[in-house]
Amino acid sequence: MLQTLLPILIFAALAVGAAGAVRRIRLWRQGQRTPMRWYRLVLMPKRYLNDLHHVVARDKAIAHTHVATAGGFVAAMALALVVHGFGWRNPILGGLLLAASLCMFIGALAVNRRRIDPSAKLSKGPWQRLSKSLLAYSVGMFLVSLPLVGVAPTLLGGGVLAIVLSAVLVWGLLEMVVGMGWGGPMKHAFAGSFHLAFHRRPERFDDNHADAVHDVHRGSRSTALFPLDLTAKTLGVEKPADFQWEQLLGFDACVQCGRCQNVCPAYAAGQPLNPKKLIQDMVVGMAGGNDARYAGSGYPGIEVGKHHGGPNAPIVPQLVEAQTLWACTTCRACVEECPMMIEHVDAIVDMRRFITLEKGETPEKGAAAIDNLIATDNPGGLDNASRLDWAADLEMPRIQDRPEGVDVLLWLGDGAFDMRNQRTLRALVKILRAGGVDFAVLGDEERDSGDVARRLGDEATFQRLAERNIATLSRYRFARIVTADPHSFHVLGREYGAFGGDYRVLHHSTFIAELFDGGRISVEAPAQAETVTYHDPCYLGRYNGEFAAPRQVLAALGLEVAEMERSGYRSRCCGGGGGAALSDVPGKARIPDMRMEDVRETGATTVAVACPQCTAMLEGVVEPRPRILDIAEMVAAALVEPATASTTRTSTEAPEEVPA
Amino acid sequence: MAHEALFKPIQIGKLTIRNRVVSTAHAEVHATDGGMTTDRYVRYYEEKSKGGCGLCICGGSSPVSIDSPQQWWSSVNVSTDRIIPYFQNLADAVHKHGGKIMIQITHMGRRSRWDGHNWSTLLSPSGIREPVHRATCKTIEEEEIWRIIGDFAQGARRVKEGGLDGCELSAVHQHLIDQFWSPRVNKRTDQWGGSFENRMRFGMEVLKAVRAEVGDDFCVGMRICGDEFHPDGLSHDDMKQIAAYYDATGMVDFFGVIGSGCDTHDTLANVIPNMSYPPEPFLHLAAGIKEVVSVPVIHAQNIKDPTQAERILEGGYVDLVGMTRAHIADPHIIAKIKAGQTDQIRQCVGANYCIDRQYQGLDVLCIQNAATSREYMGLPHIIEKSTGPTRKVVVVGGGPGGMEAARVAAERGHDVTLFEAEPQLGGQITLAAKAPQRDQIAGITRWYEMELARLGVEIKLESRADDAMIRDLQPDVVVLANGGHPFLEQVPEWGYSDNPDESLVVSSWDILGGKVEPGKNVLVYDTMCEFSGMSTADYLASKGATVEIVTDDTKPGVAIGGTTFPTYYRSLYQQSVVMTGDLGLHKVYREGDKLVALFENEYTGEHEERVVDQVVIENGVRPDESLYYALKERSRNKGQIDLEALYAATAQPTLAESGEFALFRLGDCVAQRNTHAAIYDALRLCKDL
Repeated sequence: MLQTLLPILIFAALAVGAAGAVRRIRLWRQGQRTPMRWYRLVLMPKRYLNDLHHVVARDKAIAHTHVATAGGFVAAMALALVVHGFGWRNPILGGLLLAASLCMFIGALAVNRRRIDPSAKLSKGPWQRLSKSLLAYSVGMFLVSLPLVGVAPTLLGGGVLAIVLSAVLVWGLLEMVVGMGWGGPMKHAFAGSFHLAFHRRPERFDDNHADAVHDVHRGSRSTALFPLDLTAKTLGVEKPADFQWEQLLGFDACVQCGRCQNVCPAYAAGQPLNPKKLIQDMVVGMAGGNDARYAGSGYPGIEVGKHHGGPNAPIVPQLVEAQTLWACTTCRACVEECPMMIEHVDAIVDMRRFITLEKGETPEKGAAAIDNLIATDNPGGLDNASRLDWAADLEMPRIQDRPEGVDVLLWLGDGAFDMRNQRTLRALVKILRAGGVDFAVLGDEERDSGDVARRLGDEATFQRLAERNIATLSRYRFARIVTADPHSFHVLGREYGAFGGDYRVLHHSTFIAELFDGGRISVEAPAQAETVTYHDPCYLGRYNGEFAAPRQVLAALGLEVAEMERSGYRSRCCGGGGGAALSDVPGKARIPDMRMEDVRETGATTVAVACPQCTAMLEGVVEPRPRILDIAEMVAAALVEPATASTTRTSTEAPEEVPA
Repeated sequence: MAHEALFKPIQIGKLTIRNRVVSTAHAEVHATDGGMTTDRYVRYYEEKSKGGCGLCICGGSSPVSIDSPQQWWSSVNVSTDRIIPYFQNLADAVHKHGGKIMIQITHMGRRSRWDGHNWSTLLSPSGIREPVHRATCKTIEEEEIWRIIGDFAQGARRVKEGGLDGCELSAVHQHLIDQFWSPRVNKRTDQWGGSFENRMRFGMEVLKAVRAEVGDDFCVGMRICGDEFHPDGLSHDDMKQIAAYYDATGMVDFFGVIGSGCDTHDTLANVIPNMSYPPEPFLHLAAGIKEVVSVPVIHAQNIKDPTQAERILEGGYVDLVGMTRAHIADPHIIAKIKAGQTDQIRQCVGANYCIDRQYQGLDVLCIQNAATSREYMGLPHIIEKSTGPTRKVVVVGGGPGGMEAARVAAERGHDVTLFEAEPQLGGQITLAAKAPQRDQIAGITRWYEMELARLGVEIKLESRADDAMIRDLQPDVVVLANGGHPFLEQVPEWGYSDNPDESLVVSSWDILGGKVEPGKNVLVYDTMCEFSGMSTADYLASKGATVEIVTDDTKPGVAIGGTTFPTYYRSLYQQSVVMTGDLGLHKVYREGDKLVALFENEYTGEHEERVVDQVVIENGVRPDESLYYALKERSRNKGQIDLEALYAATAQPTLAESGEFALFRLGDCVAQRNTHAAIYDALRLCKDL
């Protein structure tokens, strides 16, 4: 009986699953279309095995579990098709099929163990069922394949037992094959494969890319936001169908593993954002319906099940509340952790663009910052001519006076208007001078890089600032740009390229490390030993992969760095990025307070920082707390200044020089 | 950005000043080496520049001529080329930290003393005596006028050659230039007096000669008065006319404006307004001058607070604010604002200890900041943490000495406990602040309270420390600064008793501290002639009492400095307080419900009586020594301070020894001195703990 039934079941499942898959592809293609290039599917295996698995493998246990389960299933499915589907009942193939099923079974056991009292990051509902379905499929497939190697009694082929076995197998096939096409949990395998193949940022998979790094990543850190066509009919994303189709596909690949939820600073602070829920809401929107069936953690403070959407229905507020979008600090911790390589930040900024550009509803101080940028070219609304006021006594070299060009153009950033950051800039100038660096500044010709405007969704203001800065820069000659602001560093180095501005941009930590390496500056050992920790700025670390240089600088100062648990690519955001400090969405805790707790856990008395925004956020934590110093300040304080030609005269010596 | 206006750089002539804050010209009394800028002088200005001050104008009243006496106030001697290399030192020290430095140059004319040094004959347009310095003078002759004009030019040349950034011509405080301007002093009928142009001539010739010597690019300004406040002197309108007249030449790069003339004691008090004045009392005069001139205007008078300064600048009243005493109290004002430590600024309280010392020819010091002008000795404004062992330090007494000791010890990183018997910190400052017009002196305590809280000093209020309490804390160092009590028991005939019901007299502390209600008809007997007695009389009068203040010295308040006794006199005379000198109090006795005070004239021996219903005595402070003697024997240093180390401001040798605790005492619990003495001892004793 089974022999007759099995091919029918398998082909029926495949047929129904395929019908679902076609429908699914249609759902994705509701998005803004680029041509569907099927041949790109060949890219998938390498991307899966290399890039995706590299991220998954950060958690060894789940990586092994997945290899066993997924590998077992793929093999078992392929073999079952041949053996049971086409009836090539070869004992060797049968043995392999048994082995594959067993392998899958072992993986499924591990999956089930993980699902006993599952951690908060995991979604439940169908995902709990999946663990059982995996067992059903593997056990069912194992048992029905036993006769192939002549082990099992033939009675398996008839009677009640056969019916039971068929039912188990049907359950497995429904979950694994039909569910894959029709939006069950196994959808992730199908959508994930397509997502890898059609990913919007192919550089992420390119090991040979110019700035590919091989630390925690393969491929390049493709982190620049996509430019927005300002002549488009609708600016930004209003409804799911406004996303690029690859983005919709990406959302659909989500496995709801909750790694993003675990690292999201806004979620941890009790702000109404959970990246996992956001992606699931996008899936709801794409397919139409409501979020009642979502079985994971929601947005803090917002009830699950009350929101609904459709592919052509506005997202905000019926599907996602605006405050969810404004709570994001664009720190990319979610993107960094996502094993499915989903691009959460792109989606959030796309939706912010619509709110800001089409509706003019940028919240809180964000709107004021944008108004200021429009009026004065800086978010503080300050007179741009005062950009160099802090340096009136430093006799700063101006690039306008250096037609022959300079080595370093020092990009001040908007910290030039902030008294706290001015101390960092003064320290940096001191270091540059001690190192004999040939540098100059733009002075009042420098404008805000546009970072905050862009993250707040005001692409128009960003592009205007970018174009003006690029036009200014084109008038002067310099070998490279150095800046103490990771946001300027990112925008100038990675985002101006799309507008014709290609520069070699260095963060000051990189440049100072270079000065140390070249023996151009020297420092004296600290008078007192102290414990120091280092806070990685998102836009330096995760966005641009610079984790080493600041640590090299601290090592050069003779300091031991007590690392925080969340450091390097897993550094926790200070809460100040992406305009989040301006939109100021309320939560239960403040992100910088949480970050300061991370600092305190190390026992450090000083936290070294490398970003004006991080400095401001961390210094906003009430005292007593560890002190906050930019690495430039730490270096400047320890500098051994080169002996100047004229030694200082003291008046006690003076009479000797006095004419008689 | 906070304090945007304050930090806006400004051009003066060809010079860029990094912010709007100026330390204006004042006599430092530090150029003690024959008018050469000493190490002390240089370090004093270097500290201001390090602290972020934009522009320092040093050398108040630095003479360009040898007949304008330099020595009385140890001002800078610009009359000789010998000064040039010294200027180079000064300029280097200030420029190193980004500040700019100019100097005020002048001929003081009649405003000096003639009875010393070169025994100069003082000069003035019409030979009229100057009352404040009791200075008689000759009428200046044409030849002398031209000589002095040449001296100004040479002085300016020396300033330029020395590398300073500019010079300010003093035409204020009744120096020679404004002696020519003022019809009150200039009665000449030749081309140097009479008409407006004639009175202006001397200053104009000086300006032209200076400009011709230094060229167009060197910064030259003028400091002028905004109104002499004398009916026969220059009014505000006159001064506007004068300022516009000189401004029209295009040869003046800036004007500094001061409200009030100063050739009488009363007007002098206006020039450096003490704590009895409101904030920026004469800003309107400077603003009036700004209306008519085309160059930046600097104004300094009672501008002490960054927010106040910001408000003045934002309002556009003037272009730069002088915060001179503010910098004497804390040369790091700007640095602290920039470091977000505005709460840590030690704010000037207007006690005028600085300027009142200066008028006595003594070096300028700050009542509350003992490091100021002692930078050359290594007394720090910013106290470094100790690299040695952390010590348990117990300080007894929360007056100025104790608070400073606790602050400095805590800054050094030690574990500090401070005992204070009263419910609040401050000691005698708390009492001093009770008097009318003297409340701002409490600012000293306010700053210490904030600093001690910031530094985590354990403060035990209403705790009169005893041997056992101190022992319990197992201290390494004990600093006693527990003060004393009013010394009323000195003369038994005064009838003082510990029992308030029996005592015939009360102390100034009882009155100011509110322990005893003011009587209706009150006699204040004051042997000290300082602030305390005058404050008590003023306080009593303000509460409606009829008051006579009597002293055995020459006049009540005679020991108070020149910018402060006038403000007391204004208040006391207005309230009809009788001030009597030369009577010693012999005896007080009761007669019915009245008290009879029996006085003896110091010079005739004749007796006088006053019948009053309250006798208040101010006879100074008697140290409380019992705690000291209870601890002395057990201490490892027997309570002795090594004077060599103290005076050299180095570590006390006993700190390197081991054994029982080290014991030090300072302030009035040793012998009565003053606030500055207590703070100075505390700083130099504790800075190396």
